[in-house]
Amino acid sequence: MNKYLSIFKISFQEEFAYKINFIMWRVRNVFQIIVTFFLWDTIFAVPGLVVFGYDKSKILTYVFALMIVRAIVLSARAVDVSSDVAEGNLSNYLVKPISYFKYWMTRDIGSKVLNLSFAAVEFIALFIILRPPFYFQTDIYTIFSFLIALVLAVLIYFSLLFIISAVPFWAPELGWGSQFLVIIVLLEFLSGSLFPIDILPIAWQRFVMATPFPYMIYFPVQVYLGKITGIAMVQGFLISFFWTGGLYITMRYVWAKGLKVYQAFGR
Amino acid sequence: MLRFKYYSKIWWQLSRNSFSIVLGQRVALLFFLVAKVFRFVLFTGFLFFLISGTKNLAGYNTNQVIFFFLVFNVIDVLSQFFFREVYRFRPKIVSGDFDLTLVKPANALFISLLGGADLIDFITIPPLLIATIYFGGLLHPSLTSTFYFVLLLINGFLIAMAFHIAVLALAIITFEIDHMIMIYRDLTSFGRFPVDIYKQPLQGFLTYLIPVGIMITFPAKAFMGLIGTSGVVISLLIGILSLLISFKFWNFALKKYSSASS
Repeated sequence: MNKYLSIFKISFQEEFAYKINFIMWRVRNVFQIIVTFFLWDTIFAVPGLVVFGYDKSKILTYVFALMIVRAIVLSARAVDVSSDVAEGNLSNYLVKPISYFKYWMTRDIGSKVLNLSFAAVEFIALFIILRPPFYFQTDIYTIFSFLIALVLAVLIYFSLLFIISAVPFWAPELGWGSQFLVIIVLLEFLSGSLFPIDILPIAWQRFVMATPFPYMIYFPVQVYLGKITGIAMVQGFLISFFWTGGLYITMRYVWAKGLKVYQAFGR
Repeated sequence: MLRFKYYSKIWWQLSRNSFSIVLGQRVALLFFLVAKVFRFVLFTGFLFFLISGTKNLAGYNTNQVIFFFLVFNVIDVLSQFFFREVYRFRPKIVSGDFDLTLVKPANALFISLLGGADLIDFITIPPLLIATIYFGGLLHPSLTSTFYFVLLLINGFLIAMAFHIAVLALAIITFEIDHMIMIYRDLTSFGRFPVDIYKQPLQGFLTYLIPVGIMITFPAKAFMGLIGTSGVVISLLIGILSLLISFKFWNFALKKYSSASS
């Protein structure tokens, strides 16, 4: 346990060592929120307008909740795992008496804590500047459900990232390409980062909700907003648990296979 | 004329080399291509669906909003095709390998900016242009509007070039580029929608100071007949000024190059 605590501390300090990098990353997050905020703010410029079942207050709460949920779920150092495998740096970890998965989970937690603290400051600053109508959840049961949804979202993202990062075991040149396709493009559109999934036609919604992507952003935010309750919430959690378990088993399987063919390219 | 021929030959040679590298990794090429097409199709689909529900965005109809997005893509993809080498500049500065560029009998800025055309973006240019022409045709522009559009599109490309030169210069001074270029990409992504959707002072900031509006929104607006001659002239002046400032900045940064690690 102590060694992972040390990794957490070192990882935390490392983020501060590259201050400009970190600040730029946060600036980029703020830009993305501003674009999304103004897009929806313009659409709901007419007072009292309800589009796709959302009014201005609900949609802007969704945009602001995105800021916090994204900081918790999508802040992960494990994006570097792919290059570790492709460049042979993985060997450095395999000879150490640590679990590679726990090592990156610890580093991810460090990154999430730091990003969350900055996201909280940005949230307050943008809240004061933009003054959006925001819905603060007060129901303890809903907040507890939201926290569980968040934990599941973090685990789904972690497993997905590790599965994608395993591609270089077989094709080192595909490391960035596969991350770009799944983690950047598909995640952006299908997770609800750009728009709430329930604005899509029913057939599309059903298709997207069957994938793991919405359970990383859209589902936790909807739980917070109280838009998913009762049977729908139970159903959502069941699918979320299914993807958490399914992706974890897939990750272990893919990595067990991958390590057998690992040749430490570049070492 | 001789200089132009000389640099055209260099560009062609460097581009061929760059294309050969990408063609050597065909599956990776396919992954990136699929991802880029996915992103484009999904975003266009989102816009279609959004405007069908809201009827308009800041007063623009579906075809107009799609046209703004296409113009953003034309400038974005052309910039990435021509200026991809900028993304590979940092290691040269950090390792001191930029020395090898400086001793070559060609302009260092030319090689650093245009020395690695991107095949993946090149493949996406023809379908993108066809889509732009198709959706542009649906807006029934006048001959003058089309002329202004082409002029401002070139101007937008020059502003994009100025941005990339500034990023290169900053890389020399600060050793940082990866996030800087992504911040540029994020800033230009404000132009995926007409800048009219942003409130003041952000709208003014994006139009004249950055100037994403002049770079992306103005060409599309000129095509719709929403920008007059004075607007075109001011845009061109800002474009030229951006380019001149970026050249000055590059020359300033070049004097700061320390050849570290070499």
